[in-house]
Amino acid sequence: MSNTPARSVESERIALKARNVSFSWEDTPLHWVPGDPFTTHTINVLHLLLPAGERWFVHVYKQVLPLIRDDRLREDVLGFIGQEAMHSRAHDEVLPHLREQGLDPTPYTAQVDWFFEKLLGDRTLPPGRARRWWLMERVALIAAIEHYTAFLGDWVLNAAELDRRGADPTMLDLLRWHGAEEVEHRSVAFDLFLHVDGGYRRRARTWATAFSALVFLWQRGIRFFLENDPTLTDPKASLKDFYVRGRQGTLPATGDMLRSVPRYLSRSYHPSQEGSTAQAVAYLASSPAALAAQKAGA
Amino acid sequence: MPRLRTVALVAGAALLTRRALRRRVRVSPLWPLPALDPPVSGRPRSRALRLLLTSHETVADGVVRLRLEGGGLPRWEPGAHLDLVLPSGLVRQYSLCGDPQDTSSYTVAARLVEDGRGGSREVHEQLTEGMELEVRGPRNRFPLAEAPAYVFVAGGIGITPILPMLRALPEGTEWRLLYGGRTRASMPFLEEVQGLAGTAAGPGARERVTVIAEDEDGRPDLATLFADTAEGTAVYCCGPEGLMAAVEEKLPAGATLHLERFAPRTTAGGDTEFELELRRSGRTLTVPAGSTVLAAVRGALPDTAYSCEQGFCGTCQQRVLEGEVDHRDELLTDAERGDSMLICVSRARSDRLVLDM
Repeated sequence: MSNTPARSVESERIALKARNVSFSWEDTPLHWVPGDPFTTHTINVLHLLLPAGERWFVHVYKQVLPLIRDDRLREDVLGFIGQEAMHSRAHDEVLPHLREQGLDPTPYTAQVDWFFEKLLGDRTLPPGRARRWWLMERVALIAAIEHYTAFLGDWVLNAAELDRRGADPTMLDLLRWHGAEEVEHRSVAFDLFLHVDGGYRRRARTWATAFSALVFLWQRGIRFFLENDPTLTDPKASLKDFYVRGRQGTLPATGDMLRSVPRYLSRSYHPSQEGSTAQAVAYLASSPAALAAQKAGA
Repeated sequence: MPRLRTVALVAGAALLTRRALRRRVRVSPLWPLPALDPPVSGRPRSRALRLLLTSHETVADGVVRLRLEGGGLPRWEPGAHLDLVLPSGLVRQYSLCGDPQDTSSYTVAARLVEDGRGGSREVHEQLTEGMELEVRGPRNRFPLAEAPAYVFVAGGIGITPILPMLRALPEGTEWRLLYGGRTRASMPFLEEVQGLAGTAAGPGARERVTVIAEDEDGRPDLATLFADTAEGTAVYCCGPEGLMAAVEEKLPAGATLHLERFAPRTTAGGDTEFELELRRSGRTLTVPAGSTVLAAVRGALPDTAYSCEQGFCGTCQQRVLEGEVDHRDELLTDAERGDSMLICVSRARSDRLVLDM
């Protein structure tokens, strides 16, 4: 990609708009990264976490809307909400396909639903300080999680190794469409957090919670998939598997992930320093699913 | 020594706990967590299919039959319809009239509406064999209910959902059909319908199929059709508004009525003004023609959440307390449509709507 258009897009304000995408999964094999169940299932965990997680984002953000005093930010948040709702649904639609192939994710998604809807749900709090505190805490959590979704989005847009290994094109399109929208709206959650609260201690605290929760849920998800995969006889997952694939480029590199930690905790952090809007917009302009959505909407 | 005993007890308890946990972990790779309520939402969308148009033939005056082929298509029940996404982006609904068990093709028929909104003209004039069309569905809003006897009333192209129903009725079921149209030449599937009547007509059986062409026989006589209708008879009617209103009026006591309107979105397409009450906030607004419920609501409650404004993201879903909704989204399931709506695109069919906002 040339640098000239990149700069011009970067400096422009992108109006966020949900895209009405749809994917058909009939031709996607169970191990859609050929011969690599570990990579497949590590990425598949997204389909377990995102439907409930992004529904939860939408739920929380609907409650924050009245606190936004900036029209431009409100517009961004509304666009963000629609994009997240579509992400949630698109990943949800992969699950029946997994079930058809003998890998029923219900036990795990039930737990994820509980996690987001009960543990992180509204709770019965008295209106006033307690309720506001809990809302701010969740807004900050979302900002921290969005740091990682943008990180992963940027990674998947550049994960040429997946193409070289012959990964399923529909699945790659889902991941890259999603990743590109995450990169596209990566600043919204953080800007919203700065707008309504912005405290550094809260940012650090919720980062720690979000990071531990993501690691915990993700490794559980990988183990769940590997142990329930009907085609595997030796379902072992180890940190080494992850590290090795990070080096090969089929999963994010461990070093890159660790380096993203101090960046988020730096006081001068802003998501616009990460990833490239130009690249995301370029992908969205060529993604088969996004193109089809655009055509249908026109 | 009491200390030693305490240590032994604690160690024993720890070992037992570990064992118990390990067994549970082995049964499921996951730790047990509390039981859950079902997710708040999670609407599976009807899948979009891309099908090849393999036949486009005129089967009666102003009626074309389309055959769309694909592989492993979902089965459907009589009464189901398809959403056809035309090349211009218009979406139109057509009742399926082929064989429900056929998973390799769908058949629909469409009448040319001279002064319509352009959908049927596009089907007639722009579609050609060999084109690929996007199709959504099938969905059924006109399902065949179990009943001791049936009366079908079809007007013109309204025969399409009824034809598969006639074929699906079990042998020996008592049914009657009144099939009306302007002229015989304009009535599709006439021969097939008469053939269906002939096969099962036993001795003494009343004429099952009555075909009435307006230019020869005048208006259909509904009173005769409904004479001595048994208790619990299901009446299925699909046709122009006038016919359905007449059937509704003449419906005998004890019979149940099932109506299918030609493209519900078409008939309600005229955006009319209606009154909107937001019960929780105690406000009453007017939604003018050409504007949306969302726009009106935002005037009163500026923090209302919405996003795509096209009826696919689901953000603006609201609970409906009273009033009949004209659903124009492509997202909500029929169950969800029962008590909620997407306020960015859907409107009221009644002149008053009450939302829980």
